Amino acid sequence: MTTGHFLFTGWTWGGASLPVGAGTLAWYLAMFGLHRRFAYFAGALGLALVTLMSPINALADGYLFSAHMLQHIILLLIVPALVLLSLPRSLSLALRPRLFGHPLVGWIAGVGAMWFWHAPALCNAAISSRPVHALQTVSLLVLGGVFWRQILAPRENERLSPPHAILYLFSACVTCSILGIIITFSPVTVCSIYAMPPVDRLDLLHTIRVGWGMTPERDQQIGGLLMWVPMCLIYLSAILAQIARWFAESGSPATEEI
Amino acid sequence: MSDLTALLARAGLSTPEQREHWTMKWISTVDHKRIGMLYLATALGFFVIGGIEALLIRLQLAVPNNHLLQPDTYNMVFTMHGTTMIFLVAMPALFGLANYIVPLQIGARDMAFPRLNAFSFWLVPFGGLLLHFSFLAGGAPAVGWFAYAPLSETPYSSQLGVDYWALALLVLGIGSVGTSINLIATVLTQRAAHMTLRRLPLFSWMIFVNSFLVILALPVLNAGLVMLLIDRLLGAHFFLPPGGGSAIMWQHIFWAFGHPEVYIVAIPAFGILSEVIPVFARKPIFGYEFVAGSTVAIAFLSLLVWAHHMFTVGLGHTVDLFFVASSMLIAIPTGVKVLAWSATMVGGRIRLDTPMLFCVAAVVQFLLAGLTGVSLAVAALDWQTKNSYYLVAHFHFVFVGLIVFAILGALHYWFPKMSGRMLSERLGKWTFWLMTIGFNLTFVIQHFLGLAGMPRRIYTYADLPGWGWMNLVSTVGAFLMAAASLLFVWNLVTSLLSGERAGDNPWKAWTLEWATTSPPPHENFQRLPPIRSRRPLWDDANPGRPDPMVGAKWKAETFAPEKNKTAVIAFIISETAFFAVLILAYLFYNATPQAGPGAQDLNLAKTGLFSLCLFASSFTLWRSEVSLNRGRQRAMRAWLAATILLGGVFLIGQGLEYGTLFRNGASVNVNLFATSFFTLTGFHGLHVCVGLIALLIVLGLTLAAGFKRRPSPALKAVALYWHFVDGVWLVVFSTIYLLPHLR
Repeated sequence: MTTGHFLFTGWTWGGASLPVGAGTLAWYLAMFGLHRRFAYFAGALGLALVTLMSPINALADGYLFSAHMLQHIILLLIVPALVLLSLPRSLSLALRPRLFGHPLVGWIAGVGAMWFWHAPALCNAAISSRPVHALQTVSLLVLGGVFWRQILAPRENERLSPPHAILYLFSACVTCSILGIIITFSPVTVCSIYAMPPVDRLDLLHTIRVGWGMTPERDQQIGGLLMWVPMCLIYLSAILAQIARWFAESGSPATEEI
Repeated sequence: MSDLTALLARAGLSTPEQREHWTMKWISTVDHKRIGMLYLATALGFFVIGGIEALLIRLQLAVPNNHLLQPDTYNMVFTMHGTTMIFLVAMPALFGLANYIVPLQIGARDMAFPRLNAFSFWLVPFGGLLLHFSFLAGGAPAVGWFAYAPLSETPYSSQLGVDYWALALLVLGIGSVGTSINLIATVLTQRAAHMTLRRLPLFSWMIFVNSFLVILALPVLNAGLVMLLIDRLLGAHFFLPPGGGSAIMWQHIFWAFGHPEVYIVAIPAFGILSEVIPVFARKPIFGYEFVAGSTVAIAFLSLLVWAHHMFTVGLGHTVDLFFVASSMLIAIPTGVKVLAWSATMVGGRIRLDTPMLFCVAAVVQFLLAGLTGVSLAVAALDWQTKNSYYLVAHFHFVFVGLIVFAILGALHYWFPKMSGRMLSERLGKWTFWLMTIGFNLTFVIQHFLGLAGMPRRIYTYADLPGWGWMNLVSTVGAFLMAAASLLFVWNLVTSLLSGERAGDNPWKAWTLEWATTSPPPHENFQRLPPIRSRRPLWDDANPGRPDPMVGAKWKAETFAPEKNKTAVIAFIISETAFFAVLILAYLFYNATPQAGPGAQDLNLAKTGLFSLCLFASSFTLWRSEVSLNRGRQRAMRAWLAATILLGGVFLIGQGLEYGTLFRNGASVNVNLFATSFFTLTGFHGLHVCVGLIALLIVLGLTLAAGFKRRPSPALKAVALYWHFVDGVWLVVFSTIYLLPHLR
């Protein structure tokens, strides 16, 4: 299959993505109606569908580790953040019991989702088994939500204060970067299925290896680098947003005198 | 008691006069102002040494085919020049300024930990002595300031120079981490009431942010140095490819420290510019928030992009591509700063006194340094200009053009506060013009030399077209800079003796250090003006049109945590960086199976059992804290003793494991498994020992007197450290013992 042909036919129309997406959309509109923040939700939904249905998904499904990593980052770090931004500002996301609302839980959810799913056995299982794959997708979205809730909860009082948020984001970034560094420079293959796909479903392997020049080593390197560099830029953007929040004036003179 | 008297008599300190003598006053001082000045004096002393080395380099290169210096000597001279200027001049000078100015700017009485401060300072001269002692011990290091392996390894550098280099840098690194922990604790816990974090002067803010960079980056170097020393002294092969090691690993470790290091010395310089430029432009800084925020972005990005120092190593196009893109991003926050400084000057009533002249020159020169920096971030151009004088010119524009100029600006600016006397403005202007002309003569031309193909670190060169006169111009410039430095020292000495009296606030500046006498009294402030904005002295002088109030919006702004706890957390952050390097190294070196001893020789069950003891000790220590909070001193002591016992049992277990390995012939230099295993577990064991000593001290204290404060900050701090050591073992144990079983 040529590249052009693949870009045209590599879309995943079947599967649960579309119905679940439609259901979520209906749920959002029923709950909150059509308001200003709907744009964020539309963005999240669109991005999630593109990630799960476009050729990226076909590549991630047994061909390219780097495509999988792109999916992983979008589903864990971008989609949940956009969903949280789309919620009305009055909505409380307090978790019961209160322990679940602890920043450490959020941090472990975000960082753990990265490390956990890249243990070689689990990484392979997520490709070869449909249910595990579905579990992975859902868990990324949920854990991403738990992670970002500390930063982007609709209610101001449920968010971390900017200095703590910066520490939270920075340490999460460093911890994920370390995994990225390991993957980039590791002489060991993280997901052996990507290095040697057992079946070439789309008859694409030749195009990828020869046409695109994506050797398994380079593929894993790009995957690691995606996690090391661009992913850190997501955290950096969030940190800059926190700095902006920190320095933004309160505006109410009543609280000014201390 | 009589012992003490005898001891004092022997040290010549028996009478009060002897104890009050000025040498004793300076040697034993814990006052941040004196320590700051000691730092600055030390930096000046080493600046003379490093400067003479620079002049030797330039003399050697002044004409083609010169044989003033032997090739070996030349290598030693440029290595010592680089190492001295970065570790013994730039860092101590900036730490000295931070030490002197930050407590004053935040309205504090002293640093959070005055004794730690003195300790950190004294490591600098002694580290410097250790480095320079190598001249007497068979030759200074001759491997360049980044000491690339395998050149720095025993087979290629068999003299002791590199050992002294590594040991000295370890000493200096520990001192830098100590100072930075102290600065973090000072800014967080010692601020005057109403000096909220959002009202911090930019110099203090940048030192605060920078301190985090120091505690994250320096431990990475320390870990690398430790590994290099293990290679050299114990015959291991971390960085020696013939033994299975990786020379590139050294480059990664060095630049993971080395790139942030550039910003570690640049960010305080940015802080200086952000203080001086507004004062002499008679305008508040343009975009305080952007200058402050971009500092965080710079610090963050600097940790991320070290691989751009390694484009020519052959990491592959993929890796290069990512680091080209991310390195260029740094131009954005630095550009924001340059714009903010420029916009501050636009429309201001600029007074071109010496401090301002230096700072304006620093901005201009930094702009050029940044532009060549962006060009070097392009891997293709980097390939052509790597290790040429283009690179030399680039980083000298950063280190001299920005940092030295900013430091000189800062010294001219704050000298009146430190001494109570003004520097001579006439001599200052001479210094400035000589320095600026000399600097640009020296280094502008080196860009062209580099593009003409002259490689760095060659001790002499053939008479190629253009090279001779360009090098001569560069050498003439270097001597102009030397003349400027001499003039500056002359200015310092004469002004100290007979300078004009400065008064409290000679520059009509607005931050708190100018609200006290010059020099400030021992306790810094008699009274503080009200603090409600970022320029309290402006508000004080202009009650009719004060700055808009900077509100306190966040609890975290006014929040003053307990200082012991803050310092221990900062220490834990730096230790995490240290262990992260060792753990990553372990993973890297054991990724592929190797001949000889391996993870299969370890006793999982036995060590697992002893590990449980260590984990249990965290529980007992927690119970000890709870007992103290409930006022049960005896239970507290019992739990504390149990903790110590469990820690001791763990160490015995480690000893048994080591014994078995030794009996099976697995000593540290056998293969990379053994080396990395003993390095990682050995350093963990060392930390357990330190924790045990701290716990024993706490136990001794409670047995002697008991804690009056509940909860006790001392116990809390030691407990945090102990939990951290246990946490590290959890990761180390999983990495070494459990991971091989998961494969």
